[in-house]
Amino acid sequence: MQTAFTRGAPQQAAPMTTPFLVAHDITKAFGGAQALKGVSLDIAPGEIHGLVGANGAGKSTFIRILAGLNHPDAGRIEIDGQSQQIATPQRATELGMSFIHQELAFVPGMTVLQNIMLGVPKKSRFGLTDWRAIARDVAPIARRVGISAPLNASVKGLSTAEIWLINICRALVREARLIVMDEPTASLAASEAERLFAIVRDLSTSGVAVLYISHRLDEILNLCSRVSVFRDGRSVAELAGKGLNRAALVEAIVGGAIRDSQRTATTRPRGDVVMEASKLTRAPKVRGVSLKLHAGEVLGIGGLVGAGRTELARLLFGADRPDSGEMRLAGRPYQPASPAAAVRAGLGLIPEERRAEALFLSKSIAFNLGIANLDKIVHGRYLPLLNRRARTSMAGEMISSLSIKARNASTPVGRLSGGNQQKVAIGRWLQRKPKVLILDEPTRGVDIGARAEIHRLIRQQADSGMAVLVISSEPDELPDLCDRVLVMSEGRIVRELTGSAVSRKAIVEASYVDPQALMEDHLA
Amino acid sequence: MSDVAISARRLSPGTKAVLGIFARYGTIIGLLAMIVAFSILSPHAFPTVNNFTNVLNQASLAMIIAGGLTLAVVVGELDLSIGFAASLHGILITGLVVHDKLPIPLAVVIVIALGAVIGLVNGFIVTKVKVNSVIATLGVGTILTGLAFAYSAGVPIVAGVPEAFLQLSLGRWLFGIPNNIIVMILVLGGLWLLVERTPLGQEIQAVGGNAVAARLAGVNVDRIKILGFVISGMCAALTGILLASRLGSGTASAADSYLLTAFAAVFLGSATLRDGEFHVLGTLVGALIIAFGFNGLNIFGAPTFSQYVLQGAILIIAVGTASLGRSLAER
Repeated sequence: MQTAFTRGAPQQAAPMTTPFLVAHDITKAFGGAQALKGVSLDIAPGEIHGLVGANGAGKSTFIRILAGLNHPDAGRIEIDGQSQQIATPQRATELGMSFIHQELAFVPGMTVLQNIMLGVPKKSRFGLTDWRAIARDVAPIARRVGISAPLNASVKGLSTAEIWLINICRALVREARLIVMDEPTASLAASEAERLFAIVRDLSTSGVAVLYISHRLDEILNLCSRVSVFRDGRSVAELAGKGLNRAALVEAIVGGAIRDSQRTATTRPRGDVVMEASKLTRAPKVRGVSLKLHAGEVLGIGGLVGAGRTELARLLFGADRPDSGEMRLAGRPYQPASPAAAVRAGLGLIPEERRAEALFLSKSIAFNLGIANLDKIVHGRYLPLLNRRARTSMAGEMISSLSIKARNASTPVGRLSGGNQQKVAIGRWLQRKPKVLILDEPTRGVDIGARAEIHRLIRQQADSGMAVLVISSEPDELPDLCDRVLVMSEGRIVRELTGSAVSRKAIVEASYVDPQALMEDHLA
Repeated sequence: MSDVAISARRLSPGTKAVLGIFARYGTIIGLLAMIVAFSILSPHAFPTVNNFTNVLNQASLAMIIAGGLTLAVVVGELDLSIGFAASLHGILITGLVVHDKLPIPLAVVIVIALGAVIGLVNGFIVTKVKVNSVIATLGVGTILTGLAFAYSAGVPIVAGVPEAFLQLSLGRWLFGIPNNIIVMILVLGGLWLLVERTPLGQEIQAVGGNAVAARLAGVNVDRIKILGFVISGMCAALTGILLASRLGSGTASAADSYLLTAFAAVFLGSATLRDGEFHVLGTLVGALIIAFGFNGLNIFGAPTFSQYVLQGAILIIAVGTASLGRSLAER
């Protein structure tokens, strides 16, 4: 029996047919930053086309352009051979494109049917939405994609996979001819992912094209007939047939002739283990992480965005509590109940989002530095008043030793540049001389000069015996800075790199390791 | 192209400076202008030591409760229970003194301690049970109103109020300054010192400025928020006590309207000197604007309704112009 779903074009799209989508030499800059320097890509009807690339390669920007959320500076987009301007998301829908983002779009309080019809024009009778007629139309589509819940049931309590199916169903109700899926399996269990793959293949057979974006190379290899690779805002490779394999993908993602930056980090003598974590777990982001951090070393944590690095830092700093696992600090059991407890125990954290999570923007530099050092700026034990002179002079010292560019200590931090703001965030902890300093993306959004200064500062601290943990997504930062790098993937540490093995390529390669496969290897 | 459009709307540095000054000093300029205007219009009744003392004396109770509220809003929360709490405190202290014949100092201590407990409850519900502070304190305030009616059985306590109790509020002390004013100066002075000049105050400001950052800088955010509520509760108790003493009676809803006055003062204060931040000195200025405004209207015999209209209008105009001036000056 042939249903509408299995009828249609064969999976291997013949190159003669007009591609559904052609994007040619798209460029896009945000402010000074060139996010896309020229990407081209074409998708045939019914093709499952893979898109891969490291963080910041330009995938998201490209998708936002297809979705009508950003507009290209230059380049051409054709749908069915017709040149098109995608001015709005509505236009993208009209052209037959549907987008399923990593954060699935749904309204928890509504029914399955209402969620399927979210933003879709609806049939009406006498000016009222005719839900019965809509349900009649939607029911067969819902059955095809395998939504098991009744259409009038609430989506509350449905699994992520089922919500995902609702999103697929919405795309089909809109008669989408291309569905863009961004990391569809990121929060799915293995069995759910299998079901998803089956649906993607079914879509393809019925003539719906899929642009499949994932960091999981095995999925890409499994599903896609052709894969485009983006790197640094360019489409650098298109792999298909025999040329499409894991090694070739990694090679293209990392860049063939990698100019591995000069490794300036000298391996310095490291001291005793200061901090230790064993089998630290907080589902779903951190799974069984064990690590040792030595005095006087800079330990890097590499991996993709979403690999669980920030979440790990929050566990170490007491901002979240682990489900299980143990930590030790200077040999003693360490279970921080709050960041305050972690600070007392001798930790400092410079969070990823400095404006939202680290700084008091309307307050002065002196205030921002003083807040973690109140014990040092009090008049005395019996006079619990603020010693403002001590605070100002402390701030003055920091301003000059970190060369923070500001008029004086009372300048509001919100007026400083990104690099100088970050120096204030770091300076707050340097004053305390913590045993362990954790920096999450320390140079994000910072200019080159400030970046070098921040790196010098970090090394200085390690030289003076501090244990430093640096999380970074910038490919060059960790090899530059760290003595040792641990690479995380999907909540697990998948590789440890030391000495000369620390390189941009090794880090990127390890970032794509599937921890599941790794564990099976161990068992075998 | 869009750059051009923006720069065309950009204001000259001079205009920006003037707007910036207005955003910061507008309320103070307004207060002074009001005093000058009333003095010119009513040179015999308004600008006298007697009248000024009187205005301050009247306003002291509102200033105390508003000072407490300032602490709650500085830590980033709202406390809507204060008016109802002050009413309960008023009726309770009258009962303790008149019916239970407790010594006045002991009764005062008990009532202020109760104020602290109410703040503790508010703080606990907000930080630990994680109920939005508007709902939490409105709920607690409503319960307190019920308790006040239960305690008084709906009947005001009027008879048998001892003279010594009346003297709490009506008495004068140093150089004949009314007690209310002295208490107000001590309370606001203490709160100012706490917020602006102690390490604890730095933590209080940090929590209000950015609670996430405060937590990650090692500040115990929940404890600071609870402290804000406790201080707010204690100040409400103090206002309740002084009001009962001034009225010579305890009534179940006597202090309810202080809630609105306190909020008006606190938000007027946020438009003073600092860009939209709540602070004790600002609250003082805000309370003075309201007090002198009412006094002027009284002197000119304006009807009661106009006082409410004035209070609402001043609040919106002051906070609105400050916020507009700020956003224009920063453009």
